[in-house]
Amino acid sequence: MMQYFTNISGGNVRSLWPMGISAVLDGIVRVLPAALLVDIFNTIYMYFAEPQLGLDTTRLWTVSIVLFVWMFVSYWTFSVQYDRSFYVAYRQAASGRLELAEHIRGLSLGFFNRRDPADMTNMLLSDYGQVETTISHNVPQLISGLILPMLAFISLIFLDWRMTLAMFVALPFGVLLLWLTSSLQERLCENQVKARNEAASRLQEYLGGIREIKAHNVGGERFQRLRISFQRLKETSIALEAIIGPLIMGAMLLARSGMTIMIVVGSYLLVGGSLSLPTFLLFLLVGTRIFDPLTTVLLNYGEMKYSAYSAQRIMDVKREQPLQGDKDINPAGSIVFDRVTFRYNDHAVPALQDVSFTIKPNTITALVGYSGSGKSTVTRLISRFWDVQQGEIRIGGQALSDADPERLLEHIAIVFQDVYLFQDTIGNNIRIGNMNATQAEVEAAAKRACCHDFIAALPQGYDTPVGEGGSTLSGGEKQRISIARALLKDAPIVLLDEATASLDAENESAVQQAINELVAHKTVVIIAHRLKTIQYADHIIVLEQGRVIEEGTHESLVADEGVYCKLWGLQQDAEGWNVRT
Amino acid sequence: MKGKSELSNLMTIASEKKGLLTVAGIFSVLSSLLQIVPFIAVYNIVKELLENVQHTAGIDGDVLVYWGIVALVSLAASLIAIYISAMSSHIAAFHILYQLRVRLADHIARLSMGYHTKTATGELKKIIEISVEKVEKFIAHQIPDLLSAIIVPLLFVGYLFWLDWRLALALMIPMIIGMWLQTKIYGGAKGQQAYRDYQYAMEEMNTTGVEYVRGMPAIKVFGIKAARFLTFKSAVTKYRDISIGITDLYKKPYSIFFIVVSSLYTFVIPVGILLVSGHANSQSFAITFILFLLVSPSLSAPVLKLMYVGSGMREIAEGNKRIESILTEPVVAEPDQPRVPISYDVQFKNIFFTYDNAVGGDTNYVLKNVNFEARAGEITALVGPSGGGKSTIAQLLLRFWDVQQGLITIGGVPINEMGTEQLMDTVSFVFQDVHLFYDSIEANIRMGNETASISDVIHAAKRACCHEFIEQLEDGYQTKIGEGGTHLSGGEAQRIAIARAILKNAPILVLDEATAYADAENEKKIQQGMMELVKGKTVLIIAHRLSTIRMAEQILVINKGEIVEQGSHDELLRLDGLYQKLWQAHISSTTWKLGVQQSASTTNA
Repeated sequence: MMQYFTNISGGNVRSLWPMGISAVLDGIVRVLPAALLVDIFNTIYMYFAEPQLGLDTTRLWTVSIVLFVWMFVSYWTFSVQYDRSFYVAYRQAASGRLELAEHIRGLSLGFFNRRDPADMTNMLLSDYGQVETTISHNVPQLISGLILPMLAFISLIFLDWRMTLAMFVALPFGVLLLWLTSSLQERLCENQVKARNEAASRLQEYLGGIREIKAHNVGGERFQRLRISFQRLKETSIALEAIIGPLIMGAMLLARSGMTIMIVVGSYLLVGGSLSLPTFLLFLLVGTRIFDPLTTVLLNYGEMKYSAYSAQRIMDVKREQPLQGDKDINPAGSIVFDRVTFRYNDHAVPALQDVSFTIKPNTITALVGYSGSGKSTVTRLISRFWDVQQGEIRIGGQALSDADPERLLEHIAIVFQDVYLFQDTIGNNIRIGNMNATQAEVEAAAKRACCHDFIAALPQGYDTPVGEGGSTLSGGEKQRISIARALLKDAPIVLLDEATASLDAENESAVQQAINELVAHKTVVIIAHRLKTIQYADHIIVLEQGRVIEEGTHESLVADEGVYCKLWGLQQDAEGWNVRT
Repeated sequence: MKGKSELSNLMTIASEKKGLLTVAGIFSVLSSLLQIVPFIAVYNIVKELLENVQHTAGIDGDVLVYWGIVALVSLAASLIAIYISAMSSHIAAFHILYQLRVRLADHIARLSMGYHTKTATGELKKIIEISVEKVEKFIAHQIPDLLSAIIVPLLFVGYLFWLDWRLALALMIPMIIGMWLQTKIYGGAKGQQAYRDYQYAMEEMNTTGVEYVRGMPAIKVFGIKAARFLTFKSAVTKYRDISIGITDLYKKPYSIFFIVVSSLYTFVIPVGILLVSGHANSQSFAITFILFLLVSPSLSAPVLKLMYVGSGMREIAEGNKRIESILTEPVVAEPDQPRVPISYDVQFKNIFFTYDNAVGGDTNYVLKNVNFEARAGEITALVGPSGGGKSTIAQLLLRFWDVQQGLITIGGVPINEMGTEQLMDTVSFVFQDVHLFYDSIEANIRMGNETASISDVIHAAKRACCHEFIEQLEDGYQTKIGEGGTHLSGGEAQRIAIARAILKNAPILVLDEATAYADAENEKKIQQGMMELVKGKTVLIIAHRLSTIRMAEQILVINKGEIVEQGSHDELLRLDGLYQKLWQAHISSTTWKLGVQQSASTTNA
């Protein structure tokens, strides 16, 4: 239970106190009207027991007035409880969301590669929505719902323990029923949450790939994976309702059967003469009032169970360790791979195996090899997306495993193959390279990256908003924006991952010039599939299946007549190729 | 009026499962009625006890036990009725949700790309997930609740009026106050505005949240975590403040409502006291009075239920509006009788096109008066500066957008008369940026042709030069892409897309920079694979490496939305125009060497 509160409060149980205390207060305040109602019945009973005294209307009026006054008191406690629980709920969800957001930004990029992004967004958004409801509704109702029965139980046991026992005897069985089936319930919840997340992931994928879907005419029902995930969601949701429902109702029936047991026991005792009539009447009255809050508790129990699972998932991510390290690197030093072996997640085949090489400062090093040979992995490891399993990577003598991952990235400019643009203006998307850049600097960088012209031609120029993921720009345009970002960043280490792949002829030569500016007096690691472009690199490393197989300059590699030489020959052929030869 | 139409939409959705919902409604009412029985049982016991209070020996124990058992049986029956009601309504609800989601997904795929470029996926996702989820609440809970919350109090109050109209009236007062407060809470302009603000804040939080997670690689690399975090933070904070603002707004009326409705007996008591004193048979009246006190709490329940129905209704109405906004978005119009082209010449006639829908006098057309014919069996290449409209022309052939003026035909049949199915079967498209689905490699290739055998898939993969690397993967063709699975490089992804196109084997092929990411060895191989692919087809190819399209039958030079030059490579070179410049630039770019500053004269070509 404690674990539960820890989870929903994001580890800060104290923050739940205002909600808890006000709920207790509200619960206590609600006891008095119930007690006063008992008094009214008692007064009426006295009238029947001793009719000669007449009905004690003074007493009734007093109670009536107290009840009216009490309405104001309960208004006050209720509104405090309402206030507290909603405040705590929204604040808790907001700070929980931010904490999680803060936490995940410290995690390695490898984490984001491994996790389904839709799953993460769900956690950040809808799972915390669930927590909101739990704190604002379920928990307060649970607390105030328990107060009345508990107080009643304690006072009734002094009045007549036999009757009290009769009234509550079935309750433990109800609780037991829920407790015994809790693993079944958890499994059902888990299935449903899984199905829900699966559906969300499929939906994200569907929306993200809508262009391909349209082009292959596999929309709607024909996109089976989405349809099946919706179907699964339907089935698990129905299963959840169908099985948890009877369990909770069974528990409710058991709990409430206490009333009947009490009546039967009461009648027996009454007829036997060991129970007084007013006591019996009192129990009857209390019996009509006491089970409602208990029912509310049981109903909330189901929902709390569900949100506990949401909270659990969030806590799992929170336990994920961010990359450690606080040392700064000297970016003017060499980048050294020292017997590095690295595998993605739990892949059996390592992406890099026993790789050693040195990249000297202010030189251009090219990585060459087939797709999947490990070229991109090398650039990602230099930027510490992951830590290596064996060996060590050092920059300027500093091992990356002890380096501060954020400061490391400050020294590195990366131009990726795929460019992510934010839903913001084009200007701000370039400014990402350097948040303090002036408009003039942004434009200068854009000009150097050959994107100024097309931006200026847009109706709103640099203030043109681009869509989520940059969907309104062409691949070449996105790539040039990404180069402008890197130019603006002006970092000493530059990583280029097929940076000119989707440029057209006219721009390519212009962007090439921009890249030449970008790489001047920098330590550069470049992946390019067109060997001509890297012919004059200071150093060429040839990778095959995660191993360095050749190393040297263009001339020395061609002279060696190895893999590089073969690739070079092939490419010379391909250059002359055209679709009709 | 507005609220009504929103509700009727929901009712139309709900009526798809009329039978189940009728059952749900009947059993919901039944269960609510059965829930009152235990109170009546207690009343009867109290009556028996009070009437015999003077001579306790006269109390009939059997009567007491009888009513005790009646209470239990009716309780059990009411729970069973609830279960039947809840199950029927939930099954109906989940079915409807499922259908609604499939319908939305289907509809979205039929909308033009124009809609998708201007609508964030986060927004669509939220509607399909959350807004639809809320419909569940309406169907599974609110419809049955609404029925029992209206019918039960009516029957109940009728019965109480018959017993004693004055006490019943006293009971009605707080109930009416409650109902009035309710309309005040939810009907007010302030409340509606607040709710709208709430919806927008939530949407903004969702959009920025999605972006925060999806853009994380870029965020980290550029060290703009702080800035992006602040964007998300301000959205979260805004959502929180608006939520709290709503809490404050409703605090008073809601608290009053809740307290008044849950203290019904407080209003009955004074009336009871007044009446009992002047009553001729005050003992029998006192027993009626007790009945009122016993049952009044069970009247609060339906009124509170109505309240939740009311609050839920608005949430749904808002969500429903969003669902409707998607469903009413006009889809790309389908012809009644799709025409099937017999030949596959592609013709663009006087095409004017802009992405903005508003066409006016000074419309900034992306394509201006584009005319050309791409003949079957020939290769037509589109070249020109980036942003000139090459990709737009290619995508118009898929009818991702409808043109404002002009006509696109395939074999003489306008593409809007072909029907999406026919059109997509006729055209294969390899996009510049390939999107692979989180599925097995096999399934990704098979998208081109669902009925292909595995050997067809492998054959296509071989021709696209991806068979080898696929075989090297641990699970081969069953390897899952993305999401904890394998991440492919750009070149690998592109080759899978080419395999897709090979498998589809459509008569018209559009290649948008299809070999941009290929590496040296594979480029050669893909080119060979593609040579087979293009044989006898109508091919539109966009390539920036002019050497690859040199031998195309027809080259269209596109600049600023217009075809500025047209002809074969040799003809175009002779023109000494833009193509010639591009060709020079291409020649110099292939001789470009990284890190070697070139003289201005060669790069300014």
